[in-house]
Amino acid sequence: MKIEENVDSKTEKAIYVYCIAAGNAEADFGNMGLENNYVYSVSYKDLSAVIHSCMIEPYKSEDKEIVKAWATAHEKVVEAALEQFGTVLPLGFDTIIKGESGVTPEDNLINWIKDDYENLKQKIARIENKAEYGVQISWDPKVIGEKLIEDNAEINRLNEEIKSKSKGLAYMYRQKLENLLKKEIEITSEKYFKDFYEKIKNCVDDIKIEKTKKVENDRQMLLNLSCLLPKEKSRLLGDELEKINSIEGFFVRYTGPWPPYSFV
Amino acid sequence: MEPTRDTHATLVDLLDRILDKGLVLNADIIISVAGIPLIGVNLRAAIAGMETMLKYGVMQAWDTQTRAWESEHRKKYLPALIKDEDIALKMFGSYYYNKGIYNAWKPGFFYLTGKRLILYRQDFDEIIFQIPLEEIKALAIKEEAYFTKEKKKVICLIGSKKAVHRFSAAQAEILKDAIVQNIEARGFSLEKISDVSKLSDLQITTLLMDNESVLNWGEKIWYLMPSDGIAQDTWRSGHLFLTDKRLIWWYDFEKRIIFDVYTNKVISINIETRKTSGLSNCKEKVLDVIYQSDNVKKAVSFAGGEIEEWIGPLNEIVNNLTDLGSEAEACPKCGKEAPSKELLERGCSNCNWVSPMLGNKTKIIDAKV
Repeated sequence: MKIEENVDSKTEKAIYVYCIAAGNAEADFGNMGLENNYVYSVSYKDLSAVIHSCMIEPYKSEDKEIVKAWATAHEKVVEAALEQFGTVLPLGFDTIIKGESGVTPEDNLINWIKDDYENLKQKIARIENKAEYGVQISWDPKVIGEKLIEDNAEINRLNEEIKSKSKGLAYMYRQKLENLLKKEIEITSEKYFKDFYEKIKNCVDDIKIEKTKKVENDRQMLLNLSCLLPKEKSRLLGDELEKINSIEGFFVRYTGPWPPYSFV
Repeated sequence: MEPTRDTHATLVDLLDRILDKGLVLNADIIISVAGIPLIGVNLRAAIAGMETMLKYGVMQAWDTQTRAWESEHRKKYLPALIKDEDIALKMFGSYYYNKGIYNAWKPGFFYLTGKRLILYRQDFDEIIFQIPLEEIKALAIKEEAYFTKEKKKVICLIGSKKAVHRFSAAQAEILKDAIVQNIEARGFSLEKISDVSKLSDLQITTLLMDNESVLNWGEKIWYLMPSDGIAQDTWRSGHLFLTDKRLIWWYDFEKRIIFDVYTNKVISINIETRKTSGLSNCKEKVLDVIYQSDNVKKAVSFAGGEIEEWIGPLNEIVNNLTDLGSEAEACPKCGKEAPSKELLERGCSNCNWVSPMLGNKTKIIDAKV
């Protein structure tokens, strides 16, 4: 009946997509999806989409704990798929495919894979057997500053002069010193950035520079990288990072392996 | 070094990836509410807290509301206008407010109407300054050193009673031209200001006597304030004014007249270079003005960068006095020639001799300080 076809959006279904995987083995992940939804795969040729069936509205919440649980669930599914299929193209959170008049969401999904098939195959080839690793190097400007005072002749001289000055003059000198130090730190940071970037680049297959972020404990993030490399090479990168971590005042965060979110 | 994947510690790293990255689908087939990216941001905000929320623009809606409220209120508050009064120009600016010990640039918006010039501060619904156009006697723009060490264009407006008002405006020239146009359109004419640099908003104008007008004034002049109690003679800074009746020294700090003498009581002036401070050996040009007060000769000293410019105008008043008596007489003490009337009435300007006829009960103060 015509009326029954015109269902309202509350009951209309859509598809939440976790990732596109290489292979067409039918997979059943059980109720591990967002909000314990049943996760399964649909295939086109030798590609599969890992999905769950959902309402036609995005997942959104202001509640930190709920969001955390969702994000973690999303990641868990992608990782499970990675284990099962070997190579996956992860999708961002909240990618939900809708249906159109006369086309089911599932058809929409298959049509999209069909249209984009070559492109998807290329992407899979690029990341095959590889994983993403996050590298964040931060430093403590205080420690670096102290080192600069020792090493830089002009700054050192100023620093010594302050001690012999009257209160007012010392204040002015300190400002001068701070400015000089700031400039010097900038130059140094650029130098380190280039140095570290080159070193890390030599250990990985692909590299992306991300925006630096605020970090705690008065530290400054010097560089934030996403690296693509075969898992077995993660040791090699780790060794290089260990060297950087052992320099006084520098701190390295090394995370992964991640599904290659940054390289799809 | 081993890569970590501890779920708790890497939640932020995870969010960075799954919210901003991942394979992107054709937008036609995915659902969106105000765009997918915003959803990612919403989720991120819940994690990252307020600061990040602002950064990512989640508070934009709130911000828009605030702005709307602000502009609504801005609209509401206009200075109350008289019937048939239309605003011809609105411009941000400020007025130099100078009353008592309080002085400051007060900011607001200038509203130029067909009838008035108003400086209005909407925050407090306060009219800081207003003047009917017909009361504006003259307008000029003067470049002043500003505390930022830049030059600032200041509009000087001369109103009734020759009071000088100073304004600054976002576009001083445009405001001034608009005022001039409006005044001329109403059939009033403006006086020309001959020397803009002489304009000052010192409150002296309000303290003058009726029919008294200022002839000469200028930059800062120091005055040697006589010792008082335990305070020794001290140089104080202020401004010297010569009117058609008096010589006045205005004390900037206390904003009042400290010294004034009728010009016809001024006997003589004398300029010399001498030490002005007990502490330094530095010598400066000092102008001594000798005048008569209660039949006693007194002297005051002035100094300052422009002190020599005062010699001319002051000599004029002294010379006018010498016309008092035409017969010359020699001073009985030092022999200096002077008009007899002056000698008798005011004493000798050279040696400070005063005629016993004046019945001087007080002792003569040495003009030399």
